[in-house]
Amino acid sequence: MSGIEVFLTDFLKLTFLSMVPFILAAQGTMLGGRTGVFNVAQEGIMLTGASVGFLVGYLSGNVLFGVICAMLVGGLFGLILAYFTTTLKMDQFVVGLALFFMGLGLSSLLPKIALGVTLTPPLIPTLPDISIPLLSKIPFIGPILFNQNILVYISVILSVALWYTLFRTNLGLRLRSVGENPKTADSLGISVNQYRYLTSIIGGMLIGLAGAYLPMVYTGTFTDLMVKGRGWIAIALTFFGGWSPIPIMFGALFFAGVEVLSFRMQVGGGIFPYQFLIMLPYIATIIVMVFTFGKAKVPGFLGQNYDRERRSL
Amino acid sequence: MDQSAILEMHGVNKTFDKVVALSNVDFELKQNEILGLLGGNGAGKTTLMNILFGLYKMDSGKVLLSGQPVTITSPRDALLKGIGMVHQHFLQINNFTVIENIILGSKVSQPFTANYAKEEALVQKLCTQFSLEIDLSARIETLPMGTRQKVEILKALYRGVKVLILDEPTTNLIPQEVDSLFQTLKIMVKEGLSIVFITHKLREVLSVCDRISVLREGKNVISLTRKDASDDMLVRAMVGEGMDLKNSVIFAEGLVSDQKTNKPAILNVKGISKINADKTQAISDIDLSIHEGEVFGIAGVAGNGQRDLAEVIMGIQPSTSGTVFFGGEEITKEDTKERISRGFVYIPEDRLADGFLNKVSVAYNLILGYHHLAPYSNKGFINWKNVKKSSKEMISEYNIKTTGPDEIGGNLSGGNIQRVMIARAFSQNSKLLIAHNLTRGLDIPSMDFVYKKIKTQSATGVATLVISEDLDELLLICDRIAVMYRGKIVGILTRDKFEKYEIGRLMSGYEQSQEETGKGK
Repeated sequence: MSGIEVFLTDFLKLTFLSMVPFILAAQGTMLGGRTGVFNVAQEGIMLTGASVGFLVGYLSGNVLFGVICAMLVGGLFGLILAYFTTTLKMDQFVVGLALFFMGLGLSSLLPKIALGVTLTPPLIPTLPDISIPLLSKIPFIGPILFNQNILVYISVILSVALWYTLFRTNLGLRLRSVGENPKTADSLGISVNQYRYLTSIIGGMLIGLAGAYLPMVYTGTFTDLMVKGRGWIAIALTFFGGWSPIPIMFGALFFAGVEVLSFRMQVGGGIFPYQFLIMLPYIATIIVMVFTFGKAKVPGFLGQNYDRERRSL
Repeated sequence: MDQSAILEMHGVNKTFDKVVALSNVDFELKQNEILGLLGGNGAGKTTLMNILFGLYKMDSGKVLLSGQPVTITSPRDALLKGIGMVHQHFLQINNFTVIENIILGSKVSQPFTANYAKEEALVQKLCTQFSLEIDLSARIETLPMGTRQKVEILKALYRGVKVLILDEPTTNLIPQEVDSLFQTLKIMVKEGLSIVFITHKLREVLSVCDRISVLREGKNVISLTRKDASDDMLVRAMVGEGMDLKNSVIFAEGLVSDQKTNKPAILNVKGISKINADKTQAISDIDLSIHEGEVFGIAGVAGNGQRDLAEVIMGIQPSTSGTVFFGGEEITKEDTKERISRGFVYIPEDRLADGFLNKVSVAYNLILGYHHLAPYSNKGFINWKNVKKSSKEMISEYNIKTTGPDEIGGNLSGGNIQRVMIARAFSQNSKLLIAHNLTRGLDIPSMDFVYKKIKTQSATGVATLVISEDLDELLLICDRIAVMYRGKIVGILTRDKFEKYEIGRLMSGYEQSQEETGKGK
């Protein structure tokens, strides 16, 4: 294999590996938004998911159990968001920001309570790659696409499943109607609150899982602030993907590519200063946003709360 | 005809934050009848029906369906019990198709495939039965109002309702569409439904209803059959004893226009076009001139560029091309503040977004936009004594229901917010008033008050540009009416040429295809 091919294989494999947290967090955001609940606490939920996932995995010795707990905690955040916005009708943005700060604090507090201060970082085993028989033997493509950890496959299957559910099932039709025009949905006997709770909780679980992915795949341990803005980028990505699962998946691939590129260039040293390189994903976000935000197809009722008895003026 | 009551409501009470909306109201709907529920804005008609449909909870009272007491807790509940409602603002999802909107919320034969063939066949059958013609695969946002209303009716029929409530169903329809709606209603009654028709328009109840109930200020006034009803009786029932009908504008007969086009033109708009950011044409090549003292109306189905035209004339939006002259001077490049100094006054369409501040006091709202002018302001400082004094005057003259100038604007009801906007506009020393949906949310005496104000102002030479979706309003007060369709003015009629159906044809863009046939739709 030539040098270029090695580099490219490596780069693409890492890109697919890195797209997972973006996909999971953005699909979680999208799902809540499709019923009008706009979560902006991704960064905090991911941090808590990473922290809890790692701690439970480490203390119980069972990584799967860690994953489940991270998802449960994410779901709990989603439940809190749904309760404050849907039941108490508080401003979604304010509640979301509060949850972000809560997650931020919680994520660094929990390891200190559970483990104390340690000199050597405690480690959990990272997820192994799973080779798909036959497919992984395809030259070039095989190692990139079919020799990855299980969550890479799951995130792609999830995206397709979400697309099918939203656009090809009666459940999806109802769900979208709540996010477009809850009054209409309500008048046809669709329980607006029920769908908002459901999607907010499942969305939170996906975001929690996105957080847990980081220690489980990248580092094997939890470090403070390890999400590094991926949660915020997931919000941008949701708009970039027009609140649609398949475009979101490809958007995630793009952002993952930029992220890997910036790491590669840091490792390689060279002409660009380190600070510039870590700016790269965010610059990409801004550029992408400039070109897509205005045209983004946003659910009609995104970020608003529905009150049946409020009289329209 | 079977005349037993299918639906009764007894002693219904409802208050919204201390405001009494309904007090001890009784209501009865008989089998196979069209009942007209008549009343002005704020009479409680819609509130009463929203209770029946499960959207609002009543504070006390009971509901009987076919003689059996029932409690309706949600729209779902109402639908299950066979009660459907077509709201004034259609409850539809704009980016869904017609069939998706119809089946939404109901069980479908194939929940996992998005294949609605079976349901489509069912709806198609209903379409034939009630002679409603609709393309089921069209997206809602592409359809005209009349068709969207048919979708709304189909939604109810698809759910097999026995009672259908229609809330102000003629509001956004052109006269031709109104006629076709009335045909549909008559077919529905023949097919066994019972219908409640909510309206504030007298002529409509008299032309289509079997029985009429009138509400005023949340109370029953009268209920009677059509043959017992007369114009005078219903008018009196709707407006109460307090209003002087003889000197009203609304109920006066044969108003004549005194050729105001002889007077000098004050506003000249020449070839104004505006292209939106997304390259669509908002308004194109508008020419119009308004004369001193003239009341110039703009008719059109909502969303045909009326708002853009008003905002271009006010200088809120720039035009892409064309010129605007005021009193002979070109003002195309002037901003809104300069135009206000010239005597422009604007009542915007969307009062909550563009005309009113929810979180500041009524007094602030009453001077908003004119706060930099005398007597409110002196060398850049606001003279609060003058502001207080004139707000108090405005509150009493315009009958604004508020605790005083210091009350927070957001506490006011929709009708009172509109009164604030009107008070503000009419208290200025203006030369040109641009008013978009001027009387929205007002009761009949207040509407009449506003019309009188316009008459008085125009006698002193103030020109008025009235943009309205209510054709009856325009026919009542305007000297000339221009019709807008897709951003163009497709016709201007003088008062002696006013004809409802002709304007309706223009509103539906009929002129564009006039060569085809003469038979209309």
